[in-house]
Amino acid sequence: MIGRIAIFASLVATQVYSQEHRELGAHEHGVGQMDIAIEGTRLWMELHAPGADIVGFEHAAGNADDRAKIDSAVALLARPLDLFVFPSAAECTVVEAKAEIEAETHEESGEEGGHDHDEADAHDDDGGHTEFHAEYALDCANPSAIDRIAFAYFETFPNARELELQVLTETGAQAFEIERNAPVLELAGRS
Amino acid sequence: MILRLAIGSLLARALTVGMTVLAIALSVALFLGVEKVRTGARASFADTISGTDLIVGARSGSVQLLLYSVFRIGNATNNVTWESYQDIATRPEVDWIVPISLGDSHRQFRVMGTTPEFFDRYKYRGGRALTFAAGHSLGDLYDTVIGADVADTLGYAVGDPIVVSHGLASFTAHSDQPFRVAGIVAKTGTPVDRTVIVSLEAIEAIHVDWQSGAQIPGKTTPVDVIRTMDLTPTAISAALVGVKSRLQVFKLQRWINEYPEEPLLAVLPGVALQELWQIVGIAEKALIGVSAMVVVTALLGMMAMILSSLGERRREMAVWRAMGARPATILSLLVLEAALMAAAGAVLGVALLYAGLALARPWVDATFGIWLPIEPPDVRELWVLAGVIAAAALASLVPAIRAYRMSLADGMMVRI
Repeated sequence: MIGRIAIFASLVATQVYSQEHRELGAHEHGVGQMDIAIEGTRLWMELHAPGADIVGFEHAAGNADDRAKIDSAVALLARPLDLFVFPSAAECTVVEAKAEIEAETHEESGEEGGHDHDEADAHDDDGGHTEFHAEYALDCANPSAIDRIAFAYFETFPNARELELQVLTETGAQAFEIERNAPVLELAGRS
Repeated sequence: MILRLAIGSLLARALTVGMTVLAIALSVALFLGVEKVRTGARASFADTISGTDLIVGARSGSVQLLLYSVFRIGNATNNVTWESYQDIATRPEVDWIVPISLGDSHRQFRVMGTTPEFFDRYKYRGGRALTFAAGHSLGDLYDTVIGADVADTLGYAVGDPIVVSHGLASFTAHSDQPFRVAGIVAKTGTPVDRTVIVSLEAIEAIHVDWQSGAQIPGKTTPVDVIRTMDLTPTAISAALVGVKSRLQVFKLQRWINEYPEEPLLAVLPGVALQELWQIVGIAEKALIGVSAMVVVTALLGMMAMILSSLGERRREMAVWRAMGARPATILSLLVLEAALMAAAGAVLGVALLYAGLALARPWVDATFGIWLPIEPPDVRELWVLAGVIAAAALASLVPAIRAYRMSLADGMMVRI
């Protein structure tokens, strides 16, 4: 009987919980998402990377040291051509670049629970995941020369292991996984 | 000279050589056939949808959404509310949006509710548009447009009546509201061929008197009353979306995936297909591995055949030696014989493959909707054939070296 009450109570609890809480996206440490779209001479890129990949922690910046790390990471992320190296023949220039850090959950409410880490987490007790988000608009005078992109990103951010990449060109959409040990995207003969 | 000798020698042993060649031919046909079916299936899938930037449905997996909405394979995804559909449709990035509503059937064919815009927006095989073999697009509420296979299989012509069944099992029919065939879509080689297309409103109309999957007893709303009703759908299965600029596709995708009111999923068809191939790829590799082993087995069989023939041919070798043939000549003769057998096997194998393709193609197309192209062998396949011949020559070195040694030792004196 007590067991039933407990189950009932937990059901009620989840229902109440689901009403005030929305949902959580996928979050895997070491793995970021990146989208690249090319149309004409315009190139649009968007990067979403877990805080753990970029600065090595995901708790709210509590002290000046953390804040400095986040600031310098955002500054690094705002320079796309240093992170993603296009062939010089493509003559790409940055039209717009913005980077920011965003909390994925209601970070201030602290303990939320209910989210699973893909990896053992010995590091955060305060629940919220943070994510770095960057958007870039590039202009490439010679986009057909983009036959490869080198991901210096992995050198800049040693905690990043993998980028899941979606590339959209004239010929359609393709997905790639760029890993730390082979940080180059070959587009020759594909685009 | 040596070539003529080799051919003559092979012809003299026509039966055993013939069996060996047949074994090689079958293995080559199997190996190339697996490759043809694999690439044919991939091309068929890739050709099915083009020009659509995003497929939107309820949150599930990208592969499931793609398979269900475009290929009508696999489990149904949840429905999407009409409100969410409207929200997406009014986004500034959206160039066009075509809803799809699945769930009913006609005989063995799926019924799909959509808007007439579908016929303009749906593109296949690198941007080809649908064309009408007969009749016209959806006009009246009770118009249907059927695919080429539906028309062929059921013998329908424009103007024929159609009764749509509820769900996939045909035990409950929407017989109170018959449809009329308004048009027949020309053959596309896509799932559209096997689809009965009606308007979205029609899907609502046939369900007016139905509640939770069963007809309300004794209640039939007359057709002319239904025509005056508001038939705005409450839910759809999925939607195809075209985006104004490629640069905005990912932005819209993210917006839909993070849509707070309803868990939705937007996928890029190409990416979802690629994901599917990653899953299927493992099985494909196993299949290729097995068929490669069959080729190896056939070549080993050939090697065994040559080895066992050496005993019988000892006297023949001795005669050649007596006539001035050097041991190296005998070695090259045996290698040449093997290469000739493999070449004959390869040619016969290709012939078998094309014969098999020609025979199986209509059946594979009708059963699986996979169109196997019959094309001359490409560079890759030619390399495979060359590889088989080279491997045969290499394998024949074992018996050939043996014969070389024997002919050195035996000289003229054969002691049998």
